[in-house]
Amino acid sequence: MINIKAKRKIENYISLTLSFLSATFGLFFLFWILGDLFINGFKYININLFIYDPVPPGIEGGGLKHAFLGHIIITFLGTVIGTPIGILAGIYFAEYGRSSRIARVARNIVDIMVSNPSIVIGAVVYALLVLPVGHFMGLAGGIALAILMIPVIVITTDEMLKLVPQQTREAAYALGAQPWQVSFQIVLKAAKVGVLTGVILGVARISGETAPLLFTSFNNNFTNLDPTKPMASLTVTVFQYAMGPYDEWHKQAWAASFLLTFFVLMASITARYIIQRKKHQ
Amino acid sequence: MSDIRMKVKNLKFYYTGEKLALKNINMPIYNKKVTALIGPSGCGKTTLLRCFNRMHDLYPGNRYEGEILLDGKNILDKNVDLMELRAKIGMVFQKPTPFPMSIFDNIAYGLRLQGIKKKGELQDRVEETLKNVALWEEVKDRLNVSAFSLSGGQQQRLCIARTIAVRPDVVLFDEPTSALDPISTAKIEELLVELKKNHTIVIVTHNMQQAARISDYTAFMYLGELIEFDLTDTVFTKPNKKLTEDYISGRFG
Repeated sequence: MINIKAKRKIENYISLTLSFLSATFGLFFLFWILGDLFINGFKYININLFIYDPVPPGIEGGGLKHAFLGHIIITFLGTVIGTPIGILAGIYFAEYGRSSRIARVARNIVDIMVSNPSIVIGAVVYALLVLPVGHFMGLAGGIALAILMIPVIVITTDEMLKLVPQQTREAAYALGAQPWQVSFQIVLKAAKVGVLTGVILGVARISGETAPLLFTSFNNNFTNLDPTKPMASLTVTVFQYAMGPYDEWHKQAWAASFLLTFFVLMASITARYIIQRKKHQ
Repeated sequence: MSDIRMKVKNLKFYYTGEKLALKNINMPIYNKKVTALIGPSGCGKTTLLRCFNRMHDLYPGNRYEGEILLDGKNILDKNVDLMELRAKIGMVFQKPTPFPMSIFDNIAYGLRLQGIKKKGELQDRVEETLKNVALWEEVKDRLNVSAFSLSGGQQQRLCIARTIAVRPDVVLFDEPTSALDPISTAKIEELLVELKKNHTIVIVTHNMQQAARISDYTAFMYLGELIEFDLTDTVFTKPNKKLTEDYISGRFG
């Protein structure tokens, strides 16, 4: 008897220690990265970074205005294309596709899409859009990011709509509403905070992507606001600058990395906070 | 006896998978009276209620047989416009189901579905309806506030208001007070008695005292069958069937 008790205590102790160590291991590196970014990046943030285009390599000064603007435009394009498609698909799964076989298969595909390597999506857009047109362009980057973000939005929308009580739907039907009116005027409205959170998560997901942009929007050394031309982005620029031989480039890459990470972190935390609050209501 | 508003004729209802839930129901629904459906859990009273506004059509595989006549027309007919039908036969649910919008918009929602768009008309109808459910004094200063800010009892009265705002002929109530405290329940019961001046009411209730207090007719159901239908006084004082008597005297159920 006592032996078994002692054995179980030891087992418990070992597994607790192991899981604690694993968690610490993960967190340690996370905070190391964040700390490093802060120490090396924060001090190089200055106003020039936002208002000047790059100067020729090796010369002091210049900024990353081209990359900031390009990044905002590409992310915006991705969000504008991806959000409506993602929300509509989520509504389909939650409201109409509950019992159909096609919907079940499609839902599985969406689940797989979430973990699809982003570089593959970049290559697909490259083959379907960049090659036929003949040159890189910001819009192609936006489309690649939209494809990346759609599954994230679909899944959150689907989950959030399912939280809306069935009786609310029935009450709307009982007043004589049509199915589309129930979905858009009642259910979507009831779940709008959650759905919006999905969109924020999606934006956070795409705003740190480099790989799909290498094949699509590529890069540009000057500010370009025309999405049919190659466009710079923060991530691709960080990649280029970090690999480059110039000190000035490295400093700017650190600053850009810090800003990007900070933004993604804030977006994720906001989204998760909203979701938690929504679930506990 | 007053006029018959609806007539259930040889009604059978099958849930998905051919599970027979209603076995040959025949009963009248009298105009501007309260008809209570009582019986133990699983007896089919809610199933019957949801036949009256074809709520079962929302879920594939459900099937009706027989007829339910409203003013002589069979509402189970395939060609019936469900939107029109549900505007004529409204429904109030067990739990309050306010929509995620303001108090005003909750009531205006059904009116807008009916094509009423003019602001003045909407305002008049909302005010009139809220007065009818005795909620006006409590909410008139915060019509633009979310309906979720109301108490449970107020939410249920709001849902009743939303249902009667479109002026249905018949209002179905599915255990409307089972989620409410006694005071809110009393208010809703008063309201039901008031409503029958203008509406025909069918109410499902688990609470036999409630059926006895507010209904004019009572239908007792058991295992998908209608055991007894009569004036409420008769059902509760000298029922015809042994089963009814056992149930209302609390010997089972």
